Amino acid sequence: MSAFFRSREAMLIVMVISFLIVFIPYFFNVPALEEFSTTWITIAAIVNAFTLVLAVYSQFRRGIYFIRTGKRAWGFKLWMLIGIILMIIFATMGMEKGPYSWAMQAIITPLSSVNYGILAFYLSSTCARAFRARNLKAFALLVAGFIVLFYQAPLTGAIIPGIEPVARYFTETFAMAFARVFAISVTLGAIVFGIRVLLGKEPMVLGFTREER
Amino acid sequence: MSSPLFTIPGIIEGRFLGLLLNVILVLLVIYYMREGRLPYMRRVAGLDAIEEAVGRSAEMGRPVVCSYGIAWDGFDYWTVAALAVLGYVARLCARTGTRLIVPTGGSDGSLIVRPVAVETVRTAYLLEGKEEEFDEKDLPFLSGQQYAYTGGYIGILQRARPGAVIMLGSHYSEAMNITETANAVGALTITTGCYASNLACLACASDYILIGEEGTAAGAYLSEDPAQRASFRAQDIYKWIALAFLILGLIAINAGSDFFVRLLAT
Repeated sequence: MSAFFRSREAMLIVMVISFLIVFIPYFFNVPALEEFSTTWITIAAIVNAFTLVLAVYSQFRRGIYFIRTGKRAWGFKLWMLIGIILMIIFATMGMEKGPYSWAMQAIITPLSSVNYGILAFYLSSTCARAFRARNLKAFALLVAGFIVLFYQAPLTGAIIPGIEPVARYFTETFAMAFARVFAISVTLGAIVFGIRVLLGKEPMVLGFTREER
Repeated sequence: MSSPLFTIPGIIEGRFLGLLLNVILVLLVIYYMREGRLPYMRRVAGLDAIEEAVGRSAEMGRPVVCSYGIAWDGFDYWTVAALAVLGYVARLCARTGTRLIVPTGGSDGSLIVRPVAVETVRTAYLLEGKEEEFDEKDLPFLSGQQYAYTGGYIGILQRARPGAVIMLGSHYSEAMNITETANAVGALTITTGCYASNLACLACASDYILIGEEGTAAGAYLSEDPAQRASFRAQDIYKWIALAFLILGLIAINAGSDFFVRLLAT
């Protein structure tokens, strides 16, 4: 029995049933099935939540291994484990206010913001490499990029008023057309990919390969 | 907002055409997969470069870093497609004896993807007869927070100095930090842009980029299975239908008709 539940067929059956439970109520007006679909999604969310426990367990096992064997940077692992324990304790004391809220607002959010902020420097170095007019296409990119960049920069719009219609033309025609073509391409690709998965033709997704079939 | 052109009893207003198109697409994919006739496929430089990237790393004696994204809900189609490519990369690494590092995490949902990634890589090593070389510690879980994951990822790149960074799946603003660091350490970078503005940045920052459907079709492209590849024919037909809708819609709207707007309204 356990072999069946681990088999490719069982996984595909669960996948197809789950797909139909969510797919049918989207198109057909069947209130009972829609209600069941919501319940099904909630069950999936609860099962997902349990994997958090597994993740914490896995982190502890790995962290303790690093500390015990004295591997490089084991101190960071110790710090991480202390952090996990502290955050679990803090969360049980309430999440809206108290130490958990403080840790989030005073440590995690600012650190994330700093990381997000330095993105500007990474973008600058990318631009420096990309905006080398080595050929005609790169030159066109450079010109379009500078026009949009100047338009977005503070005061430039006021100093060079003629730049606005050109920059808007680039963003609202070329960029938007590309974004829509990209969306169509990705959506079609995703649907066909989904069909291949449901038909069991993407075996790697289920942890199986052609040789095993 | 225009009202739908027609309604069918029992079907939610405006969704009949979508249902019809989906059903036809499913039937077309099944038909072409059974037929197994290969469509014309142009070469995708980003996917062809994977072998070169792993080979380069093997020659340099450096590891390969490959990640499958940080989708907020854990799994999305980008992630699932990326896992298929991860399996391919893992097999190449196992074959050439190149160390593979897979940074995992990045979102709350990423916790549920890691076990699948571990099994994918383990299976790849098993199939190459090198199970003993598989080390789960090379798939570190960095954090459930996006930017803590980024810091960890960048740290790995700077310490391990990989020969190639293959960044697939849903990556968001952190993608630039990672790609630029990869470039700084001299790694060959192959990335997927999962949304338009990210794509523009990654196109500038990466050596190779997978655009749009190339990301989702990667697994089928890399496989030797004609059935998988044959499914692209259905995709191509729908691309022509989409193009026809665009042109006819453009003509109709300029002629003052809202027929196509109402036809597609939901």
